[in-house]
Amino acid sequence: MQIHKSKNKQDKKKKKVKEFINIGLAGNANVGKSVIFNQLTGLSQTIGNWPGKTVEKMEGHLNSLGYRFNIVDLPGIYSLSTYSLEEIISREYLVSEEVDVIINVIDATNLERNLFFTFQLLELKVPMILAINQMDILRKRNLKLNFERLEEIFKLPVIPVVAVHGTGVYQLLEKAIELVVYHQPTSHYIQDGKKIHEQLSNNDKKVNNDLSIKERFHFPDLSSILKYGKEVETRIYELIKNIDIHLEYFSTFNYPSRFLAIKILENDEEIEKIFKANQKTIYIINLAENYRNELEELHGEDISTIISSEIYTNIHKIIEKVVIVKARGEKKLVWAEKLDHLTTHSFWGYIILILILAGIYFFTFLIGGFFGGLIEDFFEVLSNIIYSIYGEDDLWVKIFWEGGLGGFFGGLSGVLVYVIPFFLIIEFLQDSGYLPRAAYLMDRFMHSLGVHGKTIIPMILGFGCNVPACTGCRIMETEREKKISIALTSSIPCAAVMTVVLGLVGRYVGITWVLILFAINFIVIIITGKILNKILPGQCTELIMEVHQYRIPNYSVILKQTWIRTKEFIFKALPIIIITGFLLEIFFIFRLLDPINFILSPVTYYWLGLPAITGIFLIYGILRKELTLVLLAVLANSMGTTLVGLLNPLQMIIFSLVTMLYIPCFATIVLIAKETNWKYALQIAGLEIGIALLIGGILNWGLFFIFY
Amino acid sequence: MESLIKCLIDCLIGEKLKVLRVNAGYHAKRRLANLGIIPGVQIIKKKAAPFRGPIEVIVKGTSLVIGRGLAARIVVLSDNSK
Repeated sequence: MQIHKSKNKQDKKKKKVKEFINIGLAGNANVGKSVIFNQLTGLSQTIGNWPGKTVEKMEGHLNSLGYRFNIVDLPGIYSLSTYSLEEIISREYLVSEEVDVIINVIDATNLERNLFFTFQLLELKVPMILAINQMDILRKRNLKLNFERLEEIFKLPVIPVVAVHGTGVYQLLEKAIELVVYHQPTSHYIQDGKKIHEQLSNNDKKVNNDLSIKERFHFPDLSSILKYGKEVETRIYELIKNIDIHLEYFSTFNYPSRFLAIKILENDEEIEKIFKANQKTIYIINLAENYRNELEELHGEDISTIISSEIYTNIHKIIEKVVIVKARGEKKLVWAEKLDHLTTHSFWGYIILILILAGIYFFTFLIGGFFGGLIEDFFEVLSNIIYSIYGEDDLWVKIFWEGGLGGFFGGLSGVLVYVIPFFLIIEFLQDSGYLPRAAYLMDRFMHSLGVHGKTIIPMILGFGCNVPACTGCRIMETEREKKISIALTSSIPCAAVMTVVLGLVGRYVGITWVLILFAINFIVIIITGKILNKILPGQCTELIMEVHQYRIPNYSVILKQTWIRTKEFIFKALPIIIITGFLLEIFFIFRLLDPINFILSPVTYYWLGLPAITGIFLIYGILRKELTLVLLAVLANSMGTTLVGLLNPLQMIIFSLVTMLYIPCFATIVLIAKETNWKYALQIAGLEIGIALLIGGILNWGLFFIFY
Repeated sequence: MESLIKCLIDCLIGEKLKVLRVNAGYHAKRRLANLGIIPGVQIIKKKAAPFRGPIEVIVKGTSLVIGRGLAARIVVLSDNSK
């Protein structure tokens, strides 16, 4: 009986797995994809990486209408070519077995450009739903869309959506089920959505997902809208014919023959590799090249321009049929325009940029400091209780309480409380649309460092914490720019560094020296950029970036994103902090670090003019930079003096400077290694140590004469 | 009644322009074409960043920022007939 029951349970479980519907959310950047993703998946989201790639993969799931949905939010892209890694990953993923249905999110206020991407997706012949988002804004602009017409044209479900209000979002899932169950699209104007909904929930025989849905799906014939001009079309036809001869080989790559034909004609590097890999298909590359030359001569344009033009012509015809301008004509958002003007102004733009940078820092610091203080007080109260029970000098208390739990509370009060407000403000800036404006303002300057303006985005993030900021360098298009961006970003003084500089130099020496230290830091960043720009092979690419209109940020997206990133931090970074805290406490108790002080003394004592004990502190600082100051204070306390008694002003300046520059923190180094490789991470660390020691030494010997 | 062929950086702010050619490399050209910068298309130069920075244009209803070096290679026809 018992056995039978559990078997039954297992069967049920098995059945459930088959009821998965995998959805890929695809669309341009800033079309509300992430809002829809959030509405559907809530807090079940996880951030991972695409296997072997450094592009973020957002995944979430939900149960609805008796089905389990697995939803992947693809990166926001404009085309399925090879411009960036994100484009290549997206197209490979969309044709893979993992995707059953694509939901293409389209910005209604920007149909023409969005449909360009839709047209590329349609060539993949994957079951697809068109979600036309921002319908509310379209209405405000006195525009209307004819959805019946749209469905007639695309022969696929087209759903109006207002993602911020959740309107139409669940209808997307109903349509996805329909596509999967019926293996063909059904217009929701013909069939009542509610009826299908009931029918589906009553239907016991659910879809059997063993067989690929894509294979069984009757993709509608869209040749009338996807068709290019005659010259291009006849050549594509010839290429398809040749591809189909080797269909057995090509079918392993999942791309439809027509997609392969278009891409090989377009000289797509990645697709060319497929043709090159097989001796029998290499000749098609030459054939395509001949066709390409013929077409380019015929049109006097290069192939990508020809094909893009033809797609845009086709789109234009559709737009004329479906967009209805109401009598009063188009309206524009006045406040958004004014804010845009102000934030990109040749004077006020820079002032605002500086204010925002200061704002990030103060917000992070004030909120983090407040809650960090509370947690530390709490830990102290707990410590006193523990000490009163077990005694302060008990070895086990030291290792487990001060090391293990101390590390945990240190992680909470020293890092987590800063990470949360920082993520909040960053998500706010991201969602409102400010960051591209900063890139626009700084493009010219960043070019002198070998990268284009977009690098300023991860650099701004760096003011809070270098770790997520270095991850943000993924937005750079080429490997070279990513490397330079990472080097620059990792040198930005983060909140922890600010704590040290303000707590030591700001408090005891004066604000002038704080500013001088920051100036030195920025000069170092500029020099680093200039050096890397010279050393690394290749050239700086030009900025091409869409600037979206300002919008009121969606608080639920901001909160959820913040939570997800925080969750990731808790699970991935906090354990490392706790374990190292644990180990360091053991080292400390058994005085394993004393030889290090001795070894480092030529550098710390003689070259930098610091007390030898600071050697250990600088080692600790690699873990978390604010530890250098915390440990100094602890030491001063135990010696019955204050920081002033421990270090003279000159030493404070040098100590802060070295802390600021000497190395990216441990977590950052690990991340750099993950994003690039260990060799590069260690090179950056080495370079920064060198620079810090050089400047620190020069300052020490130079200032010696000023102060004395 | 004056029609002039210029490059994008030499145009005035607010000028309505027609793209004639993009003399850029393969990648940049394809990217621009995908985003709608193709010969014959109408664009408006919205603004230019200070200190010889990038150019912002409106194309097909969206704002696009293009690095100055690339903008210099976009040849446009400025139509001042009105």
